[in-house]
Amino acid sequence: MSDVDNDAIDNDTVESDQIAPTAVAVLEHIVKSIVDDPDAVTVEVDDSGRRPTLNVRCGEGDLGRVIGRRGRTASSIRTVARAAASKDDVEIDIEFLDD
Amino acid sequence: MEWVETTAKTIDAAREAALDQLGVAADEAEFDVIEEPRPGLFGRVRGEARLRARVRPAQVRPKQERRRRSKSDKSDKPATSETSDSTEESSTPATSSTPKSAPPRARRQTSNKRNEEPTMTNDDRPESTVTPDEVGAAAVSFMEGLTSAFGSPAEVAVTVDGIELEVTVTGTELGLLVGPGGRTLNAVQDLARVAAQRRLGDHETRLRVDVAGYRERREAALSAFARDVAEQVRTSGTARSLEPMTSSDRKVIHDVLNEIDGVSTRSVGEDPDRRIIVDPA
Repeated sequence: MSDVDNDAIDNDTVESDQIAPTAVAVLEHIVKSIVDDPDAVTVEVDDSGRRPTLNVRCGEGDLGRVIGRRGRTASSIRTVARAAASKDDVEIDIEFLDD
Repeated sequence: MEWVETTAKTIDAAREAALDQLGVAADEAEFDVIEEPRPGLFGRVRGEARLRARVRPAQVRPKQERRRRSKSDKSDKPATSETSDSTEESSTPATSSTPKSAPPRARRQTSNKRNEEPTMTNDDRPESTVTPDEVGAAAVSFMEGLTSAFGSPAEVAVTVDGIELEVTVTGTELGLLVGPGGRTLNAVQDLARVAAQRRLGDHETRLRVDVAGYRERREAALSAFARDVAEQVRTSGTARSLEPMTSSDRKVIHDVLNEIDGVSTRSVGEDPDRRIIVDPA
């Protein structure tokens, strides 16, 4: 990571001990923006699998809107969060879980 | 919300023509069959199918229903039969093989009535008080938060023209937000709609998001391409089939070629493989 001339590095304010900081920030912002109870939203990185999984949890009743009709919103969230993860140089999975 | 009216030999064809005119996917539109096609002798069509369609107003599902849904997926069907019916309906192509289709007509009207019912919202936010300006402000704040989470400094602005809202994002490092073929941008726009329109219970506005002038450039490129194709078709007299495109891209092509004499356009196939065919007129 020493002399990679990449604009991703310049914007990376979070220390590298966190996996996929951009993706986590983006995911948190999106989900908090669409639920009724933003305070109940958490995003956790599970690094035990083949590639990092971002587990999204939200308050009771909010999961429906996060997933959307026929999973459309969930799929849009995945698309955008994966774009963000490319800034972190990782490929990620995203899971939506009910509390 | 504006209705468009189309006629064609079958209900299917009329429906697809309407979707192209509206520039939306099938699940974003609603239809009313005005006239069924009347079959003549030997399968010849005597009367054309006529229908009207419009973009389905964005809707908030009542809170209670969402709760019930998330608790047990099994009770899904009885609890939300109305909702699933309407989604089902929009994805089911109108039956062209059975021209006596009273059932589809009935179903369409139900879904219509449902949209007009103001009692849908037992949400605490009174939907009628949401103004286009408020929806625009919510969309701007969503996009500001998103670009800052991406670490891409950007300017976000909104123009409100009646019920048409256009959010424009400008900055230097926004390529990731557009993505290959604008796919990420389409997802971003989708999420902005959920965050602004649906969360505020807005049913009226039409919201578009453009990043780094992408849609404008895309539209210009598509228009130029469409003119080239029209020229080829006119001089060669041979029809040409284009690559599959999204409904909004197809709308650009249809609109451009409608203005040009000597060619006509139609769409064939089902999304996401739906494509335009340019015929010599």
